[in-house]
Formats: sequence, C-alpha cells, structure tokens
Amino acid sequence: MPEDSFEPLIITFCCNWCSYAGADLAGTSRIQYPASIRIIRVMCSGMVHPNVVIDTLTKGADAVIICGCHPGDCHYLEGNLKAEMRREGIELLLDDLGLEQERFRLEWVSASEGQKFAALMTEMTDKVKALGPSPYSTS
Amino acid sequence: MAVRVAEEWLNICGGCEVSILDIGDQLLDILPALEFVHMPVLMDSKYYGQLGERDHMEIPEADVGIISGGIRNDEEKKIAEEMRKKCKTLITLGSCACFGGIPAMANMWSVDELTDKVYRHCSTTESAATPTENIPGLLDRVYAVDEVVDVDVTIPGCPPSPDMIVEALTCLLEGKPFILPEKSVCDECPAKREKKAAGGDIKRPLQPLDIKVGEPWENTRCFMEQGVLCIGPVTRAGCSGTTVEEGEEKVPRCIKGYMPCRGCFGPIRKGANPLVDMVSSISSIGLDVKQVVDRRALLNRYIGGQNRLKPLPVRN
Repeated sequence: MPEDSFEPLIITFCCNWCSYAGADLAGTSRIQYPASIRIIRVMCSGMVHPNVVIDTLTKGADAVIICGCHPGDCHYLEGNLKAEMRREGIELLLDDLGLEQERFRLEWVSASEGQKFAALMTEMTDKVKALGPSPYSTS
Repeated sequence: MAVRVAEEWLNICGGCEVSILDIGDQLLDILPALEFVHMPVLMDSKYYGQLGERDHMEIPEADVGIISGGIRNDEEKKIAEEMRKKCKTLITLGSCACFGGIPAMANMWSVDELTDKVYRHCSTTESAATPTENIPGLLDRVYAVDEVVDVDVTIPGCPPSPDMIVEALTCLLEGKPFILPEKSVCDECPAKREKKAAGGDIKRPLQPLDIKVGEPWENTRCFMEQGVLCIGPVTRAGCSGTTVEEGEEKVPRCIKGYMPCRGCFGPIRKGANPLVDMVSSISSIGLDVKQVVDRRALLNRYIGGQNRLKPLPVRN
C-alpha cells in the first residue's frame, strides 16, 4: 500500500448509554466523519478491560478509542471512573509494547454530542494518519 | 515391568535435576518402578553411539520423557524432536521448558544485538568475532519446548517442587491425568489482605518488610499491600505443595520464606497475559505502576518464551 493512501483502522468502544447514542446522533444528523472508525458497542466503558485494548492493538488495529459517559453521568454510577483509572496503566503498557501513547484515547461523549463525536473521530484519524501504520498492523 | 524414563536437559542451569534428587525418601518408593535409559546429567549415553559410529542422533525408546530447559540452539531443537519421537509421554520440567524461563528474557533483543553485546561491546572481555565453528547455531529466540514439539504434561516452577514431580510421576504410573490448578498464588496465600495498599512507594526487592518471623499468618499483611512487588495475583498456584503436615498451614513457597512471589509457575491459564493483568492489579490496590523498575522484564521474568517477550518494533 502506498504511503499516502494509508487508511487507519481505528477500533472505537462506545458505551451503550451515552457515546453510542452520540455516534447515532452524528449519523442521523448526517455529520460526516472518516470511515476508518469501527464502532463496537459495549454496555459501559468500564467493562473494557486493558487486555482487550492491548489485544486489539497488537492484533491489527492502528488505534483504539474508548468513549464513555461524562463523569457523573454513568448509567452504572462509576463505570467510566473505572475506565479512567485504567487509562494510565494502558498508556504504560503501550510503552512496553513499543507503541506511541497517542494510539490510545479515552474520551467522554454524551448522547447529545454527535458533533463532538464526529470531530473527535476526524481528529483521531488525522493523528493516526500522521503517526503511520502500527508496527503490529496486519493490513 | 519398570517404566522406561529418558531425561534430557537443554537450555538450563541444572536446578530441575537437583529438584528430582530433592524428592528424598519418596524417590526410593517410586525408583523401583522406574528405569532410566537416558539421562545425560547422570549417565554417559552418547547421541551418535559410544564411539561416534552412528550417522544420526539417537535416543533410546522410552515410556516417559522428561525435558528440562528451553530451546535456544539447533542442537537443542533436534534433541527435543528426537525425544518426542522416542517417548510416549513427554513431560516438560521447570519454568524454562514450560515458558522459556530466565534465559528467555534475552528475547527482548535480536540475536545480532545479543552477540554484538556479548562478543564486542562487553567491558570485561576482549572483542572477537562471533564463533561459528563446532558449536550449534543460535535460534532466533528462546523457545519453550511446547512451541517446538507437542507436550503432554507440564510441571512448572523454578525449580519445580519435588512434591509436584512425585505427584506427576505417580499420576503417570497409575494412568491418571495430572492437572494443574487454575487459580492464583493469592488464592492459596494466607497473608492478611485489606484490598488497599498501606500507602507509600513501591519498594525495591531488598528493602525491609514489616514482618515478624514465626507470627501466625493472619497477622502478616499482604506483601503487595506493603508495597513490595509480588507477582502472586497473576501466577498459577501449586507451589505450596499438595500435602500438608498436620497443624501446618498451606503457604506458597516464596511467601513461606518471607519473600514475594516471583512468578515462576507462569500464567494462571494458557493465553493469559500476566503483564497486562499485573498492571491492572497493581493499580487496583492504589500503587503506582510507574514506579516498577524494568516493568516489562520483571513481569515476564520466567515466561519470556511463547512470544511474550519480543524485540520492540522500531519507531520511525
């Protein structure tokens, strides 16, 4: 694949209650964002174990984004805070695997923030395009 | 009829063999049922015949084969393959054979980087070319035995506990399966846990611990909560032994010696990733993972084979 046509593969874990609805809103409002995003719906951002993130990144994805409710809005009260507690550990593990820390991101997107979701995905795609393919990339 | 046993040591220090001897009195009970047909550490049996007359490597046929040590070079790979061919049941003994062991920490660098460091950039030796004549060539990395040949039984540990060797051999003699427990060292550890670190920084291994030797275990705080890195949460249980004398408590081996677990029994189940699990486990009780020195090697100390440790990808 020539360098300029690199289309990153970005796996996005969206929580069912806020971020997935936010992504839905982006879609129904016809806001454009890159097709490099693959959304996986999970019940809560707090249920995405670091193992899943690391496996995703070492088995072909160029980046991973976890989207959850804003702190205080979690459907399960503090699931998103659990995700936040794991963030640092995941970033350290990326170092251990020789990956850039920018390849992982944890963001809060509420159900009404379709615009923010689209902007976030565009920004992340641009950033990963600049970083280039992951050394573990399979495509 | 006695069970024919072949034993082979590969990339190893020899501690596993000492562990076989360490079985003690019980060894005398099972010895009559065993006949050792090949064991380089104890007896002289040559791969190419006593006078070197054969043109191919040969190990005598055996019912049970025991391999200790990982696979680092061509010779060891051939021996492992020959052992698999000649032995009906193949046992890997010790962490090196099961997961790569201590030597597999070298998997963090390529062979070229390693030989370059050892032969040319070592301050205590003279520089020389990498030797190539009359020695087996190195493989690209250290392999666990099960990456090269099929293995029937694994006995982990560095060194493996004599109890467990007896248990595995007895199971084999009686035709029963030998299954390792799928639980962690913490599940068998009697130290008192409060699920929260006592506070402070992560201690280095030789910093003093708050322990009183001989105190009942329920008065001793979990080592990890005292800030000492203990790899128990992500390590398979079993080192505390299968039999406990009356009135004695079941205590994991290193904990019994008032040292934290080093992780020699390997991951709790196949396919687990102790590095990731351990990072979550350290932060979940409120310690700072960033303070763990040489995190990657330390948390993969005995399990660098099976692709767990590799050279880091080159960043552009």
